[in-house]
Amino acid sequence: MALQIDIQVYRKRRVLSTVIAVMMLLFLARLYQLQLIYREEYGKKSEENSVRVIPKEPVRGYMYDRNGLLVVDNRPSFTVTLMPYEFDKNSIGFLARTLALDTAFIRERLKLGEAYSRFAPVKIKRDIDFRELSALEENRDRLPGVDFQVESKRLYNTPAHAAHILGYTKEISESQIKALGQDYVAGDVAGSSGLEGAYERSLRGKKGAEFSTVNVRGQVVGGFESGKLDQQAEDGKDLLLTMDFGLQAFAESLMTGRRGAIVALDPADGGLLAMVSAPDYHLSVFSGVTPPQIWNAMNADGAKPLFNRATLTRYPPGSTFKMVLAIAALESKTVTPAWRISCGGAFRLGNKVFKDLHVHGSVDMTTAIQQSCNVYFYQLMLKTGLDEWAYYGKELGFGMLTGIDIAEENPGLLPTTAFMNRRYGPSGWTRGFLPSLGIGQGELGVTPLQMACYAMVLANQGAYHQPHAVRAVVQKDERRVDTLAFQRRRLRISPETWRVVREGMRRAVELPGGTGGLARVKGVEVAGKTGTAQNPHGPDHSWFVGFAPFDNPRIAVAVLVENAGFGGTHAAPIAGLCMERYLFGRLVRTTPATPPPPKPAIAEEHAAADPIQEGR
Amino acid sequence: MLNYIKRHFDLKVGLSTLALALIGLVSIYSATYDARASEIFYKQVTWVIAGSVVLIAFTFVPFRLLQSLSFPAYFLSLLMLVIVLLLGKTVSGSTSWFNLGSFRIQPSEFAKITTVLALASYLSRSDVSLQSPRGLLTAAGIVLAPVALIMLQPDFGTAVIYGGMSFALLYWGGASRFTLIAVVAPVAAALGALLGTTPFLIVVAVFGILIYVTRDHLLVAAVVFSLMVLTGISVQFFYDGLRPYQQKRIATFLDPNADPLGAGYNILQSKVAIGSGGLTGKGYLRGSQTQLNFIPEQWTDFIFCVPGEEFGFLGAATVLLLFGGLLMRGVSLGSIVKSRYASFVAIGLTAILATHVFINIGMALGLFPVIGVPLPFLSYGGSALLSNTITVGILMNLYTNRKEY
Repeated sequence: MALQIDIQVYRKRRVLSTVIAVMMLLFLARLYQLQLIYREEYGKKSEENSVRVIPKEPVRGYMYDRNGLLVVDNRPSFTVTLMPYEFDKNSIGFLARTLALDTAFIRERLKLGEAYSRFAPVKIKRDIDFRELSALEENRDRLPGVDFQVESKRLYNTPAHAAHILGYTKEISESQIKALGQDYVAGDVAGSSGLEGAYERSLRGKKGAEFSTVNVRGQVVGGFESGKLDQQAEDGKDLLLTMDFGLQAFAESLMTGRRGAIVALDPADGGLLAMVSAPDYHLSVFSGVTPPQIWNAMNADGAKPLFNRATLTRYPPGSTFKMVLAIAALESKTVTPAWRISCGGAFRLGNKVFKDLHVHGSVDMTTAIQQSCNVYFYQLMLKTGLDEWAYYGKELGFGMLTGIDIAEENPGLLPTTAFMNRRYGPSGWTRGFLPSLGIGQGELGVTPLQMACYAMVLANQGAYHQPHAVRAVVQKDERRVDTLAFQRRRLRISPETWRVVREGMRRAVELPGGTGGLARVKGVEVAGKTGTAQNPHGPDHSWFVGFAPFDNPRIAVAVLVENAGFGGTHAAPIAGLCMERYLFGRLVRTTPATPPPPKPAIAEEHAAADPIQEGR
Repeated sequence: MLNYIKRHFDLKVGLSTLALALIGLVSIYSATYDARASEIFYKQVTWVIAGSVVLIAFTFVPFRLLQSLSFPAYFLSLLMLVIVLLLGKTVSGSTSWFNLGSFRIQPSEFAKITTVLALASYLSRSDVSLQSPRGLLTAAGIVLAPVALIMLQPDFGTAVIYGGMSFALLYWGGASRFTLIAVVAPVAAALGALLGTTPFLIVVAVFGILIYVTRDHLLVAAVVFSLMVLTGISVQFFYDGLRPYQQKRIATFLDPNADPLGAGYNILQSKVAIGSGGLTGKGYLRGSQTQLNFIPEQWTDFIFCVPGEEFGFLGAATVLLLFGGLLMRGVSLGSIVKSRYASFVAIGLTAILATHVFINIGMALGLFPVIGVPLPFLSYGGSALLSNTITVGILMNLYTNRKEY
């Protein structure tokens, strides 16, 4: 064959096959040498080579308020860990007694850890005290595989709770490990709500690792490769908040014994000044170890202290929503500001009667806002129509997420024609449904945060800023402060419309006959609107939205007090006090204008009211 | 029936490939047995399935089509290499990837095969001789074009594979001993120079003698010798002039997975892992070296440690024997096919596999320096697995058609 002659294949094949055979024999000989002759030596090395990688936890980032006050700090705490591979299961009993843990709990932890890796330490108890630490240290010989890690634990440096906005850190769950990725292992702590959760990646930093050689008993006998492999932990980044913790603490004190929420924003940029959800709790219960009893008790509490009412409730806003209709009517040129009606204390549509609190007589738009005349807005709603109303409701940010920088948020519900058709069928609803919506009742559902944003847009005459609690992130290693960018937009609403609506709000607080007189602040012109929202769970919810000073607003605020009654009586004075405290840095009034004391009976009576369900 | 299959299909090649791929999956599962296991392992399962389909497809593709597409495929892969340099994704310092959904494609893996096909096509022409300067230079051009593009990525490991492949084909194609030595000399000088002055001088001495002994013309021998020395000196000169961090970059260039924390660390850990395995190993998922992740990215270049540690000498030797059988079979295929083209393809493709196996296992056993190349069928990596299954598919195709072509 030609091939055999011109390539001399048989000779060359022999050569190439020999090359392959020689290499394979060389490798086999090497394997024989490593695995059979030196087996003992390498086996020992691999055992000594119980080089243990001890993760070094980074120090979690701090949080500072708008005045530079350090509000969220850390302190070191000791965490006990077990390495399943080295741990002697006979000592579970001893360990459980020393640490006051359940043996079943330790077994379960160990099993979880083994399923993950027999060589990775499992955390079994955080934040042990000095007595436990020394007991373990003394019995090191009896407890191979037992070790400590230093972790940081949150320390709160403020009289304010701010529990819902700051959020807590918690031992990471399986689903979080999947979501957060490679740098996390079971037993790690991660932010799980509020800012701790939302800014987890910035706050956490990067884990380091220390390599050390340990003997069979699990005692560290030295470093490894003279520390060349060690990696420093990178500390977490600090957050600079927009919040004013003086105002926060004061606002919380106003809500003591009440249920509800306060949200205050800086109209200049949408920065959150304060966010209260009452009742709340002290975050330090979640710092370190949280006994399951406390968790269960907080979850079972009918008042739902864990629930962030400021961003998750869906209540009807009542009369505070009347400015939406006023804006829709003026912008769609349905009426002029001079349009008047005569209020006889009630409005009849077909066989339905819609009530009003008072007989307001002849009112124009400004007066209708000032005195909160329902009859005016019943009729205006019928003239304006659902579509225009819903369009401007959406423009003002209702029925959608505000995009605040914490994850817990509810979009609320803004009924539209499409929604009503879905809910009742195209022929299942009539004009008779509209008047209630016009005064902020019916299916309408809003969050206090949305209401604060609404107050901000009214204060700004159309400038909307995405609300946020973090102003900037400090990149410590690069000595750089990254200011965060948030969205802003300008509403297309004419200056004349803003003038009319804002004037109504100013008169509601500043002039006699207005419903919000209790929100007045000495020396500052305040504008606002009260709301009294009927709901199926008991007495009315009390609302107030407003801003101050009128000409150059520096604070926009929304207050909700659940089941308290009239908005002008309960929510308005709380809003006034918050504005005063923020604008002057203290209270300047001479007469105590505290809101009427909370009525505990109501709170008890309606303990079953579920804030999540309400307003649907 | 079985005889029919045996006559038409190269079962030895097919079954050893399958066995190696399965050992690979088992090892990858162990090496990634922690939080990331699912992602890497299941991706590789997907690739093994895709690879089987590709293997069968290439077994049945008409031989003539394969032959006629040799050059078009070669130029297409050159184009891909250019495009990846311009648009590709950079992974650990090397721009050699395309993103394809959640999977990444590495064109240099496929260029290896198309280069073999093109070179085989050229060398099988009756008017081409490796004894003539023209034939030699054209063959060098066919190899150096993709090598140059790959060095720009830069990917030293793949370039070394090309070296092994071209050397085998030059030998098979009848190049003189002098030519073979002249090809290896500058590469050896460059490597020697990077290792230090003494290794460099040894290389110069050994190759000087070889060049002198095998020479035809003294003048040509002198030119080759000077080129070798010049290559070595310029490499050393160039290297010394670099700043430390640039030198470190070259070390990483020699080995993309080089441990930035200490030279020799990977080798030491690899030896400890294999050595401590003993005769029967520590048991599946029980290798402390493997499970403690002593070796970074073990599922790629150091995968051989996993069977070594967890299944011991028996496991590692099984892997070696499977590779040995596969490679022997590839070489003998080069002698039983009918056409020159088929013969060159068989030898070229087998040489690619062999170079990977030699370098990778030699490195894991601490015999050879660390050069980052994957172990065929075992290491994690989709492009490499596909390219290797294409290789095996073509080898099986050659066997099936051995009586005709």
